[in-house]
Amino acid sequence: MDDAWKGFDPTLASHDLVQDLKWNAELRRLFETDEAKVLDRYELKPAERKAIEERDFRTLYDLGMHPYLGGQLSRFIWGNDAAKGAVEASNRLVASLQGHDRDIPEMP
Amino acid sequence: MAEIVFAAGVPHAPAYVGLFDKAPPEDQQVLTRSYRAVREQLEASRPDTVIVFANDHLTNSRIREYPDFLIGGGARHAGPHEWFKPWIGCRDYAVRGNPEVAKALFRGMTRRDVRMNLSAEPLNFDDNLSVPVTMTDMDRMGVCLVPVLQNCTVPPYPDGRRCYEIGLKLAELLREDLPEAMRVALIGSGGLSHEPGGPGYFKIDEEFDRHFVDLCVRGRHAPLLAEMTPARMESAGRGGTPELYAWFTVMAAIGECAGTTYGYSCWPSFRCGFGTVIWDLTTRAH
Repeated sequence: MDDAWKGFDPTLASHDLVQDLKWNAELRRLFETDEAKVLDRYELKPAERKAIEERDFRTLYDLGMHPYLGGQLSRFIWGNDAAKGAVEASNRLVASLQGHDRDIPEMP
Repeated sequence: MAEIVFAAGVPHAPAYVGLFDKAPPEDQQVLTRSYRAVREQLEASRPDTVIVFANDHLTNSRIREYPDFLIGGGARHAGPHEWFKPWIGCRDYAVRGNPEVAKALFRGMTRRDVRMNLSAEPLNFDDNLSVPVTMTDMDRMGVCLVPVLQNCTVPPYPDGRRCYEIGLKLAELLREDLPEAMRVALIGSGGLSHEPGGPGYFKIDEEFDRHFVDLCVRGRHAPLLAEMTPARMESAGRGGTPELYAWFTVMAAIGECAGTTYGYSCWPSFRCGFGTVIWDLTTRAH
């Protein structure tokens, strides 16, 4: 496996959380109104759950989350429409991962 | 013996649709010119069936049971999946499937020692299929479609050499297993450089993109296979750029052909480099 993936952990419960949110509209509605109740359904490690609650994607990725699903998690949190929510989601995600927002282009 | 009548590599990032209106005019023109060329040449080639190889993007299967290749065997392929609709911003579409070709592909690859999975259930499509279909109006051409969703992002994934090897077997399968005179178009959907969901989400590797497209246009496969290792692909965008391996299957199936590209865009808000290659099958080296 390429070195780029050496920290990847395919067993992380966060991956199932994202897949289920993607495939289940009812679960997405519950996530919006009662996020804790949804997180309770998954065997998240304490650090994993804390990272989700604190929107700390750097830690989540360090724990082994797949970035493609991390990007989708950011859209469940901040928005999924092309011209607004998804742009905000990608901006906040990158800021969390980099620890700064210097490389983020202005909102188009 | 089926005949390959069209072959192209086509990017599919969602922002090409969702942020198109906000892009600078010169970038809009590159996209418009490129997709128009694909649409016109695809339609002019009068294919019976279009086989599209594209990154699955974790849209249909969980990581712990992830197939390397998933053939869509349904009688109809529709999209986008409901959660991706606002993200992409494209229109809804539905294309006739070709279950017989899908089965022949599954059977033929199995007999040639390639593990593929076949689903008769409707597959979920995100930008992987939705962007090329709607930007080229493929659903309005009266063609059949067989999608082959491949693992380009969950390591270990099939690399360029493996995809190329599968492409050679695909060529053999088309020659030997499909009906006489069937006209088949091949499309590799994906790329160029991008790092979806990663710290480099807004970084596009223009040097990589231009070099990759140049190699594809020249149609010389040895340097592509030598240079485009997983490490090189990942360095140009972790988790995203390796979906260009979908192009390798197509290139192997058609043999070494010269190609044409219709411009390049690296507008950062697309979050993906853009460039298309259509191969001229009349230049095929024999």
